[in-house]
Amino acid sequence: MKLHRIYAIVLRFMFLFRRSYDRMSDVFYWPFIDILIWGLTSAYFQSLSADSERIMSVLLGGLILWFVVWRAQYEISVNLLEDLWNKNLVNIFVAPTKFSEWIVAFFLIGLLKIVISVSFAAALSFALYRVNFFEYGWYLLPAIPILTMTGWAIGVTVSSIILRYGTKVQTLAWTLTYIVSPFAAIYYPLGSLPPVAQNIAKFIPLSYVFENARNLLTKGTINPNDLLIAFGLSFLYLCLGLLFLRNSFDKVLDKGLVKVY
Amino acid sequence: MSILSVKSLLKRFKDFTAVNNVSFELGEAEILGFLGSNGAGKTTTIQMLMGILTPTSGSVSYFGKNLVTHREEILEKVNFSSTYTNLPWSLTVQDNLTFISYLYDIKNRKQQVEKVVSLFKLGKLLNMPVTELSAGQTTRVNLAKAFINEPKVLLLDEPTASLDPEVAQYVRDFILEERRKNKLSILFTSHNMQEVEDVCDRVLFINNGTIIADDTPINLARKIEFSHIQLYLDDTNMKHLLKFVTDKNYQYKQDKHRVTITIKEKEIPLFLGRLISRKIHFEEISIEKPNLEDYFLQVASDGAKEASFETVI
Repeated sequence: MKLHRIYAIVLRFMFLFRRSYDRMSDVFYWPFIDILIWGLTSAYFQSLSADSERIMSVLLGGLILWFVVWRAQYEISVNLLEDLWNKNLVNIFVAPTKFSEWIVAFFLIGLLKIVISVSFAAALSFALYRVNFFEYGWYLLPAIPILTMTGWAIGVTVSSIILRYGTKVQTLAWTLTYIVSPFAAIYYPLGSLPPVAQNIAKFIPLSYVFENARNLLTKGTINPNDLLIAFGLSFLYLCLGLLFLRNSFDKVLDKGLVKVY
Repeated sequence: MSILSVKSLLKRFKDFTAVNNVSFELGEAEILGFLGSNGAGKTTTIQMLMGILTPTSGSVSYFGKNLVTHREEILEKVNFSSTYTNLPWSLTVQDNLTFISYLYDIKNRKQQVEKVVSLFKLGKLLNMPVTELSAGQTTRVNLAKAFINEPKVLLLDEPTASLDPEVAQYVRDFILEERRKNKLSILFTSHNMQEVEDVCDRVLFINNGTIIADDTPINLARKIEFSHIQLYLDDTNMKHLLKFVTDKNYQYKQDKHRVTITIKEKEIPLFLGRLISRKIHFEEISIEKPNLEDYFLQVASDGAKEASFETVI
């Protein structure tokens, strides 16, 4: 892998970020709206019951952790779409760029946007509601990599499908993560899901992370085994997703890169 | 020395064979025209040469190394420009050239970007988004992109399409100069036959996915037997001439006082002698020798006949 080529692709998307109101709003506008609405909602719930003093931390903390998953997925899928809309894949791959460099660049852009988005959302939730996202403390060290890997796994899966079927299925870039979200139990305990959904949730690494995040804030406990399972699952899904993406890319090369859009 | 070697290249899309057993070589500092009608297989072949389309079978080698096994090393020294590919449109010309320069292992990256900007006169366009450029300006940016890594082999797919004549001439001169100075080898497609005659040392004709001719532009033109004689006559002589050409079954086209007769090149002296013996006087005469365009038209017409025959079968 050559760093200058990875940098080239990161640079292309940073130029785009600087010049696109769409990409700016993804990072700032939507997190702002979400924090505002969920903050007001949780403030209202908190006012209804004296026992629910942690509700705002739980909901806003869950929301910010969810941003990690969303951004990780979104940056991979939407950046691929950007290259398809611009028919830029040809420029990337008539150069010596390797498939692995292209993917690593997408991961790096995702990380960069996660840092920007999460920092912005954390600062906003503290400024507006005095909710300290970093109250999770060291728990963020395993949680964020697991959430990121899961987001990447969903992102590469969506990208694989888009590469195979073209932009006619591009809506998956905005929707697929939200299909997973009910099983992730972001804002509610796993126990509140129906039994079938609870069984499905066992295979979703996010469910372990969000459940433990809630327990940490409300009970002060976490289960390390859950984090190990979540890490294993997210790593497995990411590997499978990458294999699927490589396979889809080979299929695209069989049709011709200029024909995918 | 062969810089690019293509052997038995085949590409099938399900039941359709787009490129069929194509083999050719491109020498050092050679400019090779790659011609054919739309859908003949040119773009499909070029895509395989750039590694953005997987061949069904066959091999592509540059500098004696296989493209599949030495892709990274080869593509550092190869580039491509086509009127039909895009650059990210919301990015400025400067953004595009900068990010593309990082895709290659270029020393003095900044100076190299400045060099291609100056070569293709892009200075005033640097801060414009690609989406706001005219077709000709976009072509110049594409060409700047193609020269950014100082390639040893360049694949140019209609590089002068949509350029005004002055800029097109500049690009042709630039290409010839690069070949002379840097021994650049070029595979060149164009629908402008005069341009191909002016620039290319050798021409490949592809038809229905198969190479049907590989020769110099002059030799290909010589394969056409017929020339065009254009005569300008008054009414009386025109009447006599038309009777004569009709009697002798010559093909002709009349436009007022001008008539164009299609005739085998070797029969021209005899034809002119007969005009003199019949006292048919003309005021002006011009003889158009067959050129590459005539060859192209004949090949295209034969290809169309073949295709319609296949459809009937």
